[in-house]
Amino acid sequence: MRARVRLFTRTRIEGLVIVLLAAGYLWEGHNVPDLYKMPGVPGPTVFPLLLGIVFALAGAWLLLAPDKPDAREAAEGDEKPVGKLRSRLIAHWHTVAMWAVILVYLFVMPDLGFPVATALLLLAFILLLGERRWYVVVGLALGATLVIHLGFALGLNVRLPLGVLTPLLK
Amino acid sequence: MFELLLNGFLVALTPYNLFIALVGCLVGTLIGVLPGLGPTATLAMLIPLIFSMPPASAMILLTSVYYGAMYGGSTTSILVNIPGESASVITCLDGNKMALQGRAGPALAIAAIGSFIAGTYAVLVLTFFGKTVASYALNFGPAEFFSLMVFGLSTVASLTGKNVIKAVVTTCFGLMISTVGIDLVSGAPRYTFGNPFLQDGIDFVVVAIGMFAFSEVIITAKEVRSGKRGEIIKAKSIWVSWAEFVYSLPSILRGTVFGFFIGMLPGAGATLSTFISYNLEKRICKHPERLGTGDIRGVACPESANNAASGGSLIPLLTLGLPGGGATAIMLGALMMLDITPGPLMFEKHSALLWTLVASMYVGNTLLLILNWPLVNIFARVMTIPTRYLMPIVLVISTIGVWSLSYSEVDLFLTGGAGLLGYYMRMHKYPIEPLVLGLILGGRMEQAYRQALIISKGSLLVFLERPISLGLLIAAVLFLMLPTILAKSKQFQAAREEAA
Repeated sequence: MRARVRLFTRTRIEGLVIVLLAAGYLWEGHNVPDLYKMPGVPGPTVFPLLLGIVFALAGAWLLLAPDKPDAREAAEGDEKPVGKLRSRLIAHWHTVAMWAVILVYLFVMPDLGFPVATALLLLAFILLLGERRWYVVVGLALGATLVIHLGFALGLNVRLPLGVLTPLLK
Repeated sequence: MFELLLNGFLVALTPYNLFIALVGCLVGTLIGVLPGLGPTATLAMLIPLIFSMPPASAMILLTSVYYGAMYGGSTTSILVNIPGESASVITCLDGNKMALQGRAGPALAIAAIGSFIAGTYAVLVLTFFGKTVASYALNFGPAEFFSLMVFGLSTVASLTGKNVIKAVVTTCFGLMISTVGIDLVSGAPRYTFGNPFLQDGIDFVVVAIGMFAFSEVIITAKEVRSGKRGEIIKAKSIWVSWAEFVYSLPSILRGTVFGFFIGMLPGAGATLSTFISYNLEKRICKHPERLGTGDIRGVACPESANNAASGGSLIPLLTLGLPGGGATAIMLGALMMLDITPGPLMFEKHSALLWTLVASMYVGNTLLLILNWPLVNIFARVMTIPTRYLMPIVLVISTIGVWSLSYSEVDLFLTGGAGLLGYYMRMHKYPIEPLVLGLILGGRMEQAYRQALIISKGSLLVFLERPISLGLLIAAVLFLMLPTILAKSKQFQAAREEAA
């Protein structure tokens, strides 16, 4: 069991992922059609080939390095995760929730519109960061959205999508 | 020459041109502060405006915005650990730590003072030695540029993070991302997977905002929730003390000189100069172990290098017609639209405009220092805003920065992905600065690599046969391997002594 833990360290898994990524990168680069390659001129695959090889070698080093990975990770000050993935996700649910809020915001902002999406993001994020006074949360979410929207749309001429508010404001 | 310079000052100090310089400095500082809206895009947006202006005023506006953006970029690096633009990445290392120690004011102040000294030095060299010094840049061919960029990347890899292999991994990954898109030479689509949005490549701003801004917001938020983030120490002073200024003066001077000569090389740019200058500073200064812990020299050196390089990059632009980077390329385009062709004959054919420009650079530098005196106070107060209010707003402004690039949903997805990757990397000690630098330099590096191979008819020995290129490659290997070799040598000696 002790030997198995040492074999499958995070560093070695990262090394494996890097090697596989490098292999995919080299393969995809190899698939560039020949018609783009001009005689006597270094083609579009020359630089990617160099990069892919160096990337693969670095990944192979992480995968196969003879040093004790656990000792190396401890020396680097990494926090050792405790417990299974599910329990860790539950323990760090705030972090997961913040990431979920950010990713949903990036996904819906163009369609929902900057004002609505941003107000909801600010509301959710300020609550997740511990603010409980509802008037502060709502006031800041709405006020900041308004100021930022006006500042960028009118002041700097950045086209921010209105989304669901388009019928109302146009 | 002095008569021409004096005439230049007379033109630069007219009320209209002074007003233009002031507006340019303010706009540039604001643009530099906002993550995502860099000087290159801003200069490009100003091009339509300059047609209605006299040529001298147009160039004054463009150079003021450029200088202002270089200063503004350091503000967010110091206050919220998010670089405002690429040349301010290295300022994050010490600048933000200073802010957390209640020393945001001195950090911002030394950035302003260092920038002023460096900018003045650059303008003085341009004034007296412009033509002569420009010839130094002509010794650099494609092989030398490629090796210079390898050297620059190796310095970044060696100074960010303890594990060199992880730094090599992230550097390579950044370079790999830069190959996404249509190859400019052959027109081949590379790594686009049929997606038309990827044909233009991946902008560094998309990746930088995800990796720096988004991950920083989450990490800061985590620390605030868990109580690990201590209260930011109340600021003791807004400006820098005389003792701190004297302490950082050698770093300012070294950063100025290194930054200037690197920035003068066409294609090197301010970003590379800050990384190389910081690393050289770390090798030669007293008490190098203090750099990276909130040492004021860690702000003074890169910010001086930054501004010196910005001034230095104008030398090949004006005297040889070779832009140093994106922003100077836009300025070259603006000059040509005004029917002014930069080059060796610029001193003869457009001497009045050239010396007005030089004079306006003195004026702009001084204006920035005067402007930033009250602005330091205002910016430093940003640190008093509670983190739970500040971080979400930073998140929103960063998203706008990405959206404003090309109003593309794909950019938003990519920045989200970069954010997740950046968070993972920061949690597991993979340095992100080399990735961003690799992404910025990748295109130019590939161009230099292929040009060198064309010249040498495909022989890789060209990088070893040219002395400057060979020297840079050897230096790159030494910077990467020397710390490890020295550490192993010490261990070996200690073991021998124990055995004896």
